[in-house]
Amino acid sequence: MMIRKLFRTAWKYKSQFLSMIIMVAIGVGIFLGFNIEWKSIEADTSSFFEETNYADYRLYDQTGFSEADIDAIRNMEGVDAATRYLSVNLDLRDENKSICLNVSESYNVSTMLVTEGMEYDEDSDGIWLSDQFAAANDLTVGDTLTFVISGREFSAEIVGLIKSGEMMICTSGENQLMPDYTTFGFAYVTPKTLTQVMGIAFYPQINLLSDMDKEEMEQAVADALGRTTLTLSKNEHVSYAGALSETEEGKTMGSILPVLFLVIAILTMVTTMHRITANEKTQIGTLKALGFRDRRILRHYTSYGFVIGLIGTILGIVLGYGIASLIISPDGMMSTYFDLPDWSLVMPGFCWPLLVLIVLLLTLISFLSVKKMLQGTAADALRPYAPKAMKKSILEYLPFGEKLSFGTKWNLRDVVRHKSRSAMTLIGVTGCMILLVGGFGMKDTMAEYLRLLDEKICNYTTQINLSDTASKDEALALAGQVNGDWLASYGVSYGGKAVILEIYSAKQGNIRFVDGDNSLMELTDEGVYLCQRLKDTAKIGDTITFSPYGSEEIYEVEVAGYYRSVITESIVMTDICADNMGIPYSISAIYTDKTMDDIDTSPIISGKQDKQTLMDSYESFMEIMNIMVLLLVIAAVVLGIVVLYNLGIMSYLERSRELATLKVLGFRDRHIGRLLISQNLWLTVVGVLIGLPGGFATLYGLLTALATEYELKLVIGMYTYMISIVLTFGTSLLVGRMVAGKNKKIDMVEALKGAE
Amino acid sequence: MAIVTLENVTRIYKSGDHEQKALDGVDLSLEEGKFVVILGPSGAGKSTLLNLLGGLDSPTSGTITVNGRDISTLSANELADYRASTVGFVFQFYNLIPTLTVLENVALVKEIVNNPLDAKKMLAEVGLEDHMKQFPAELSGGEQQRVSIARALAKNPKILLCDEPTGALDSETGVMVLKLLLSMARNYHKTIVIVTHNQNIAKMADVVIRVKNGKIRSCEEQTAPMSAEEVEW
Repeated sequence: MMIRKLFRTAWKYKSQFLSMIIMVAIGVGIFLGFNIEWKSIEADTSSFFEETNYADYRLYDQTGFSEADIDAIRNMEGVDAATRYLSVNLDLRDENKSICLNVSESYNVSTMLVTEGMEYDEDSDGIWLSDQFAAANDLTVGDTLTFVISGREFSAEIVGLIKSGEMMICTSGENQLMPDYTTFGFAYVTPKTLTQVMGIAFYPQINLLSDMDKEEMEQAVADALGRTTLTLSKNEHVSYAGALSETEEGKTMGSILPVLFLVIAILTMVTTMHRITANEKTQIGTLKALGFRDRRILRHYTSYGFVIGLIGTILGIVLGYGIASLIISPDGMMSTYFDLPDWSLVMPGFCWPLLVLIVLLLTLISFLSVKKMLQGTAADALRPYAPKAMKKSILEYLPFGEKLSFGTKWNLRDVVRHKSRSAMTLIGVTGCMILLVGGFGMKDTMAEYLRLLDEKICNYTTQINLSDTASKDEALALAGQVNGDWLASYGVSYGGKAVILEIYSAKQGNIRFVDGDNSLMELTDEGVYLCQRLKDTAKIGDTITFSPYGSEEIYEVEVAGYYRSVITESIVMTDICADNMGIPYSISAIYTDKTMDDIDTSPIISGKQDKQTLMDSYESFMEIMNIMVLLLVIAAVVLGIVVLYNLGIMSYLERSRELATLKVLGFRDRHIGRLLISQNLWLTVVGVLIGLPGGFATLYGLLTALATEYELKLVIGMYTYMISIVLTFGTSLLVGRMVAGKNKKIDMVEALKGAE
Repeated sequence: MAIVTLENVTRIYKSGDHEQKALDGVDLSLEEGKFVVILGPSGAGKSTLLNLLGGLDSPTSGTITVNGRDISTLSANELADYRASTVGFVFQFYNLIPTLTVLENVALVKEIVNNPLDAKKMLAEVGLEDHMKQFPAELSGGEQQRVSIARALAKNPKILLCDEPTGALDSETGVMVLKLLLSMARNYHKTIVIVTHNQNIAKMADVVIRVKNGKIRSCEEQTAPMSAEEVEW
């Protein structure tokens, strides 16, 4: 019988029950969505890395490692496996496409996973091609690829399609943020093929598996080889670092947004359950008077919270997996970034106990609400719930207080009288506004970042990549020929970590620099400039020291200023400054205004890339951003609608007697509707006023949390504020009208029956 | 002159397949300025009659003419205007707005009526000039009902409709409220219709209408109605 009552009560309060279930489902769903996302990235990438023997350390030497070197490394204590390795970008003939060609000499580290065709065979002279690149370019096993190396060509047959942990994030260089398989892919060949093509076995890299920490490794490598070598741990390699940063980002996102939703869900539950039990007080009294024990009544009403919590949580789990699969799946958002063989969804272990806790918490909220109503005798319980005594609001004591209209006073006092309901409305509107400003602001920030890259920093048409064998004189001659600026970059050890030293000759204005405010700045020859991420390491005027990997030299230089680096964590200086300091360098890239077709082929050119290709690669990144923003906007509007509708209906039910009285007195429905909507609108105004800086602060917090990954300058456009305000007011007005519409159906006679 | 005329008025309530005739072919005529009491047991149809007169409800069939205007076919907005301009209500449970002060509850009618009577004056007349800034919850039942009367009269309606106005009050307070209601109605020349099951109140009326099973059983004019003090409570 009591179960039947539970269902009937649920039906009676269907909009409240539904909104509580929706809020719990959204809260749990978003919480799980983000947590499943980062956990799945962590789990799926680690198993992929393990499967393809992803290297723990990479040693670099531009002059190449000898057989004696690799033997010395292999014999080091703590090294499980090691191989000489080559990874080089090569152009494909007749096409504006390039391939990162990989060779793992011993094929025990940094191997590949064959998805189609022949397994690895060291005697084969075929090529194993990225299956993604093959799909994007209509290539298949049996087709032939022709490469251009230093003006010469070599062809090989595709014998297998593959994926590899080394190339899980397949980007052509530091400037490419997102993979673009239509123009850039990767491939593996055997050492035998490499020797045939190059004439020699040239390996500028050693990849190895080891559990040693970085300091130990650097020391052990120096001891083994008798020289310092650029040693990068997997944390500094694009694939692992990318997976790690996505995991960290997921954790950061997962700790801000879901908390907002869960808190709102729980607060909604507190307010709504209190009101339902208050409305049910006489029924509780009746049950008590009939002889039901308190414990039985408690159990009955507590079960409401449990049922809501359980249904909401189950729906939330479904929603969570749904959200996560939008990101983690073969066609999901992350698939445009990571090239993974397995996209399993994995929920972090701590989520299950937390879900149980959420259900228990919601049950507890219900328990406490009904416990309050059970206090005292059966006669006490039979008396209807009496709201707090009426007081004037502070505003009315002000000089203009007496002049306020009836509607204003009525609404103002209602807000003060039902503080928790009003506070919840405010939280709902503020939350909606924060999500909108945050979401659109994130898009503005990214758009500004791309605009900065396109219009200010990359003022060139074509980037020419030079081969490692190009001499400085040859490179300078080519730069002069194409009126280009140029870059020389290599890894240096600065303050105990590996950063990129970039030496620029930027006299043509093809490559430019911006400061922290995104304004153009000139590099002087008087010192180095630190990127924003390194800003805290030294003040302007301080002297810093750094040491290039592979060299015993330690350079001292003054900090001349800070600049914004769009991608790498780096320090920059001019070529004149480098020359003054006596730093040797080899030029790796030239930036020119000439189009790709106007640049003659040359043995020193290893590849060309036009700026548009680079900018296009950001398109897919922006698409992901747009989907994220859309999800946030939907979440914001749903949040707004559910919270406001729930509270609006409660407010309407609580005031139905007053509304009926107004109707009997002769107030028209539209007049009463306006009164109801105006309360919502006032709270919306306050919510918007809090939400505007709130959204700004949330986004600022998020960018600060992500500051180690990106140097983004927070930009929120006027349109973002306007659209967010319009959407929030629109939601509030829509819900207001939905609730006010119910006013027409008030049965004056029914509503006025019985004592207050 | 008849201010209210009902011709063959029927009100049927439907609930699923079940139909209930609350009023069944009622014909009635009420003179202006009279004190009318409608008597009957629970479920007789007296409140339905009052609700139809007050424009809270519309008849299923038949015609209701009030002050020369047929109100049986008015739209929701027209009915709202009718309630605002023509009738004033006094309920058993007062139905004051709890978030408005006593004065504001009465002054509220300014929002809907063009020429309302002065709220402060009305409150003074019901003896509540010292309670104007209080909220309804701070008043006794009798005081709340006096506010309700002041509010009903402040609209300056033609007819005052009262549904068990003393039902929630003790007899002493009830007599006081009835006296007030009568004297105010007389002073302001209002027609007053009270629905009650209290036979004693009927002794004070000019006209007593008895209702049973949705039909008018009798309609008697009393030539010498008693005063509130004369009635034995």
